[in-house]
Amino acid sequence: MRLRNLLIWDIKFQARYGFYFLYGFLTALYVILLLSFPISWKANAAAILIFSDPAAMGLFFMGAIVLLEKSQRVTSFMSITPTKALEYILSKVISLSLTGMLVAGVLGIAAGGKNIPLLMLGTLLSSVIFTLFGVIIATKTTTLNRFILATVPVEIITFVPGLLHLFGITPPQGSLYPPNACMDLVAGKGFPIPGILLAIGLIAALMYIAHRSVLKMWQSQGGVKI
Amino acid sequence: MIQVENLTFSYTGEPFIEDMNFSVERGEIFGFLGPSGAGKSTLQKILLGMLPNYKGTALVNGTECKSADSTFYESIGVDFEYSTMYEKLTARENLVFFSSLYKRKVRPIDELLSKVGLERDGDKKVSDYSKGMKSRLNFIKALIHDPDILFLDEPTSGLDPANSRLMKDMILEEKSRGKTILLTTHNMQDATELCDRVAFIVGGRIFALDTPHNLIMSKGAAGVTYTWSENGEQTGHCDLNNLSEDATLMKLIAENRVTSIHSSEPTLNDIFIEITGRTLV
Repeated sequence: MRLRNLLIWDIKFQARYGFYFLYGFLTALYVILLLSFPISWKANAAAILIFSDPAAMGLFFMGAIVLLEKSQRVTSFMSITPTKALEYILSKVISLSLTGMLVAGVLGIAAGGKNIPLLMLGTLLSSVIFTLFGVIIATKTTTLNRFILATVPVEIITFVPGLLHLFGITPPQGSLYPPNACMDLVAGKGFPIPGILLAIGLIAALMYIAHRSVLKMWQSQGGVKI
Repeated sequence: MIQVENLTFSYTGEPFIEDMNFSVERGEIFGFLGPSGAGKSTLQKILLGMLPNYKGTALVNGTECKSADSTFYESIGVDFEYSTMYEKLTARENLVFFSSLYKRKVRPIDELLSKVGLERDGDKKVSDYSKGMKSRLNFIKALIHDPDILFLDEPTSGLDPANSRLMKDMILEEKSRGKTILLTTHNMQDATELCDRVAFIVGGRIFALDTPHNLIMSKGAAGVTYTWSENGEQTGHCDLNNLSEDATLMKLIAENRVTSIHSSEPTLNDIFIEITGRTLV
């Protein structure tokens, strides 16, 4: 019940802050771009667009959302409500992943993708991974500049291997690496079960770290100055 | 309602809260008074279940604070000194959102807004509120789920006299509804007026704990200052409880020559300084 309420309100906050308007605009722009590409480019172009934007939006938007909540001291108050850290994280992960999947689905259809369910699964896994990275970094930073700087290593270890993998510049075992496995799904290039299982394992580990990070943020913030 | 026994806490190895003991009864307003860095914040964080690594006992509503869970927070309301609202949402939306986090029956939002004079501003964004309006909204946010225990931090800070009075009346009303209230304030007048008992905290220790009246009276009787005309204005002083033994005053009264007479009690602030050797800054 509380998770449902948190989710509904997270979606309302994101709407109020113009998040969906922005994504509506970007999606339209991406669709126009995809439609203008030659057919031979479309599959890879859609995979790159999806992997780097709707799938990864959580990384950047979590920073904006958590830093905004910190600046308005909402996180201080959350810590003394019955809300559990896991519910706080889940509502944000679900709301951002749903948006990412919706945008990815539209782009996949615009690119003439044949395996939309695989694409959606890849986007979901990527989105959860990126959003959890976003939560962890946002809880430990105080300014947007520091947050953006801190996301650079995450981008390097996810986007670069993912792109190389998409163009086949990786060894055959490359699909074991979770971002690469996600890229395989997004690009509709297969269903790498070991890589997917490792991605799920990575999500579990990130969830554990994000949970501890949120609790620590609440402990240091909540009740501060009271 | 709250029981603290042999409470010790440390951030660094050096004790920050040291062997603290006190209890707060149901329906009592209990004040924490102390300068910045005295340990009030840390103590309240412990009572709010946010610092579990303490030694001793800290029971709130029957729950050991280090074991605080969601149920624990259902019965607690906290009014922070600063705004803890989503600025882009309206006051009403904020109240609806935060109330949705509790399982308890929620108090009517319009009634609460009306009580603090915000009935016409409920649909304004919080970013358009003044500091005083935010303080009042923060206060009713703490009441929204009708908690049994209220933690109030400087609830009258930044309010004009009329709204300060309104807030104090609401605090007393909550007390009359059986709520237990922990008040942290630098405002000695508020503490004297509102608190059933106060604790003076300095250096992580309780220096004194009693009713404001007893604390004031424990440090000597009130004084009386009087004046009369005799080669210009003359001034005399005596203790209130030795009035009849002051021959000069008795003589002046008999001759109807007193031009002014005032009694003055020490304030809680005077007592705080006398007991702790510190000011409340």
